[in-house]
Amino acid sequence: LCSDWFKTMQGFVLFARLEARRSLKDIEPRLFPDNGGPENGEVVEIFGPEGTGKTELLYLLLSRCILPLSAGGLELSVIFVDADFSLDLFRLVSILDNRLHTTDEALLRSCLSRLLVLHCSSSSQLLLTLHFLETSFASRPDQSLLLIDSISAFYWLDRAEGRTSYSKQEEKLNKCSELLGRLLRDYKITVFATSSSAPSPSPAPSHSSAPSPSSAPSSSAPSPSLDQDKPYLCRAWQKLVSHRLTCSKSEIVPKMATTTASSLMGPKRRRATQFTVHCSSRNKGSRINHFTVTDRGVEFITELNQD
Amino acid sequence: MVVLRAHMCPGLELQLVRDLREADISTVEELVSADLEALAQKCSVSYKALLAIRRVLLAQHTAFPVSGADLYEDLLSSTAILSTGHPRLDELLDSGLYTGELTELSGGPGTGKTQVCFGVAVHIALHLKQGVIFIDTTGGITATRLHQMLQTESSSLEEQIAALQRIHVFQLFDVFSLLDCLCSLRRSGLQPVAVGGACVRAVIIDSVSAVISPLLGTRHTEGMSLMMQVAALLKALVKDFSVAALCGWGCAPCSGGVLEPPSPHTAAAGGARPEHTQLQLLKVCNAHQVLQTALSHESGV
Repeated sequence: LCSDWFKTMQGFVLFARLEARRSLKDIEPRLFPDNGGPENGEVVEIFGPEGTGKTELLYLLLSRCILPLSAGGLELSVIFVDADFSLDLFRLVSILDNRLHTTDEALLRSCLSRLLVLHCSSSSQLLLTLHFLETSFASRPDQSLLLIDSISAFYWLDRAEGRTSYSKQEEKLNKCSELLGRLLRDYKITVFATSSSAPSPSPAPSHSSAPSPSSAPSSSAPSPSLDQDKPYLCRAWQKLVSHRLTCSKSEIVPKMATTTASSLMGPKRRRATQFTVHCSSRNKGSRINHFTVTDRGVEFITELNQD
Repeated sequence: MVVLRAHMCPGLELQLVRDLREADISTVEELVSADLEALAQKCSVSYKALLAIRRVLLAQHTAFPVSGADLYEDLLSSTAILSTGHPRLDELLDSGLYTGELTELSGGPGTGKTQVCFGVAVHIALHLKQGVIFIDTTGGITATRLHQMLQTESSSLEEQIAALQRIHVFQLFDVFSLLDCLCSLRRSGLQPVAVGGACVRAVIIDSVSAVISPLLGTRHTEGMSLMMQVAALLKALVKDFSVAALCGWGCAPCSGGVLEPPSPHTAAAGGARPEHTQLQLLKVCNAHQVLQTALSHESGV
């Protein structure tokens, strides 16, 4: 009796696998190299120091997915795993409002109902939550995007728990990464995860010994300091990552192009913060983009209006 | 790591816990990740029973999924904005301290952080008539100073005393007592022991750096992890109970360049140096996004 039931379970899982999930290759073509968007079953890591727009990029992807087709969205369900209380719903709603161009409450509600939020407070809970999400992915083929903010939230807590043994320190994230790998293979979801760079006391030497394949093309990138960009999370996670978006920010003083522009801007020269994201994909090349953050969310700067 | 104990869920008997332990399964995570078929054979228990136990344990310990729409409704109904009592400060903060958010106040020594904290506490207790929890780690709070500030705002002695009663002070001087205090506040639902009756709306900590900076900057990782624990506890407290939190963070005094004070999630060592002492107000909405506004020091805050 048990083995029959087990076989039925396997059949169900197989069915969920075969049912094609919506590919998210076109989720944001400006971010990725040509034709290099994330395929089903791939992980994109958004990496960078704090305050460099990583969560804003997640809001961009999130709004693209949950907005209705009429507003340029994909009408897909998204699961957001919030590990460090960084989801600011008011900010998300203001971005959605700006893109929807209406104040229709019902439309906003229907967008928000496509978003499922889970707060995790430790890497053990993250592991259990991923197990729980397996049943969700199995039963709902319209869920193809998982956002994790951030995967490095528990890094220091795990390091302290693991005391002096590196394997114990990395054990929990290793298990999460292995489980995530299995979910990617079985259900072909796409995962975007942010990760904060440069914990200032030097990371454990064992992390930096093996260069991971996804960071090899980034050596030509104009990154501020190589130490800051070094991947420090466990090996199992690094193996999962197929695309790496490295974020940084800089202050720029906008040039006064015309006299009318300068009179509009007011007496003081305002410093604008410009964010840079460098994408390096495994075997697909790399691409650099600049953007600013406004009320509408992330606004990419193209060469035409760059000043 | 949650250890498996007998009667944690229906079906988990003491004997089964012992059998599982012999099979090297002692925590909930291990049980959930294990191969249940093989485990059922090893512990001579039915596969279905193990599956049922797994399902219940997973439901009990996993994060609770909430739809974005429900979360938004909750936020709309529970978020309040607390004025700080200073119109210009309110302007900088976009009309005041938001409940459910953590605001960090950082600057060098002598820049007025403690006085701002006192001012906010006094305003909330006197004018907004809400409870305030004040955690003092520097020994800087005195009832006489608070009373002095109250006297300038109100002339009635009963009002002043009522306001003082609404401010609950905890004095602690090391990070473990801070963690202990935050944990017990969370457990007790933010109702401190003292008589007061007013609902707590703000938690003010002056200052977090006093207990954490001594631990940072060494090769040992405890400092960073303790800081992350304090941050996680504070954020959980702030979100669960819809209160506003104001934390002081002292930077080193600096000279020359642009001040970039470290937020609580980078090591506290020096940083760059500004030309003059500045009180910088940072709004920390989460651990990794900081919106900076500079407020130059005004005497007599």
